[in-house]
Amino acid sequence: MKKKVLMLLFLFTAFRWEAQGQIFYTKNGNLSFFSKTILENIDASNNQVISVINFQSGSIQFSLLNNAFHFPKAKMEEDFNENYIESDKYPRSAFKGTISDISNIDITKDGTYQVNVKGDLAIHGVTKNISVPATIIIKDGNLSAASVFHVLVKDYNISVPSIVTNKIGESIEIKISCTYEKK
Amino acid sequence: MGRKPGKYIALVFVAIIAVAVFIGYRIWNKPHADIRDADSVKTTSIALYEILSKSGSGSVTYLNKVVEVSGAIAEVLKNEQDQQVILLKTNVSGGSVNCTMEEEVTGIKPGDTITLKGICSGYINGDKDMDLPGDVFLIRCYRSI
Repeated sequence: MKKKVLMLLFLFTAFRWEAQGQIFYTKNGNLSFFSKTILENIDASNNQVISVINFQSGSIQFSLLNNAFHFPKAKMEEDFNENYIESDKYPRSAFKGTISDISNIDITKDGTYQVNVKGDLAIHGVTKNISVPATIIIKDGNLSAASVFHVLVKDYNISVPSIVTNKIGESIEIKISCTYEKK
Repeated sequence: MGRKPGKYIALVFVAIIAVAVFIGYRIWNKPHADIRDADSVKTTSIALYEILSKSGSGSVTYLNKVVEVSGAIAEVLKNEQDQQVILLKTNVSGGSVNCTMEEEVTGIKPGDTITLKGICSGYINGDKDMDLPGDVFLIRCYRSI
């Protein structure tokens, strides 16, 4: 009986160790967005993105604080927080999903993998299921991931007053770039 | 005789428009506030993390405010845009006060005590299932003398 308990304990620990070796994270990933308009381009960056990848399950998640986006212009940043993203009401944006064909990625060898990531993107109190392309790079034991995709402002109930519609583009380009460490 | 008042009115009108445009331009292009000169709320990294990670009523004191936080350095690293990030220790292993620096601080190492001043964005949860604690984030940070 004692042997069985010890064996189960050993297997549990070994399994947990193995699972831990498959988890990668960052707390300073970058997410930036860009929108080209007639008058002035909208360009902002957030370097406080938490992201976790579990290579065993294929799950990937991102979360960030909306008030941590930095705009070159203070007034743009103010308007973004107060009128558009309403960061007091909706402090966070997040994504939770899975990486397709995760089993094709060998994290022990250098390589570049084009994958598809599917999941729920939550912005401004609205959650939408999205599917976006991403690149995962393994080099010298380091893991990084990047993605570029577009979202429509109106899909997330972000209302832009008509007086400034020529300033804010309808389609926003989002770029994500993260370098991970092993947990 | 009738032309002069008309001319004056037109000049005044143009002057008003010019002033309005100038004010609008100044507002639109106003610079970000200088954190170094701003009044701040003083605390420690341990206390700040304790309060914000529990998101109680105490967090109102710090959220979106300029905070001056003292603590021991856990790690110094660089982010995706090559900015220095200083992680200050808390009472939670793996949980930090995560400070992105506007100016790089040289000659520091893990274990040193430091005081940093920046805007407190708040706390993001890590992942309980993966045993990853969250961080409290400060942005636009400078070293306090």
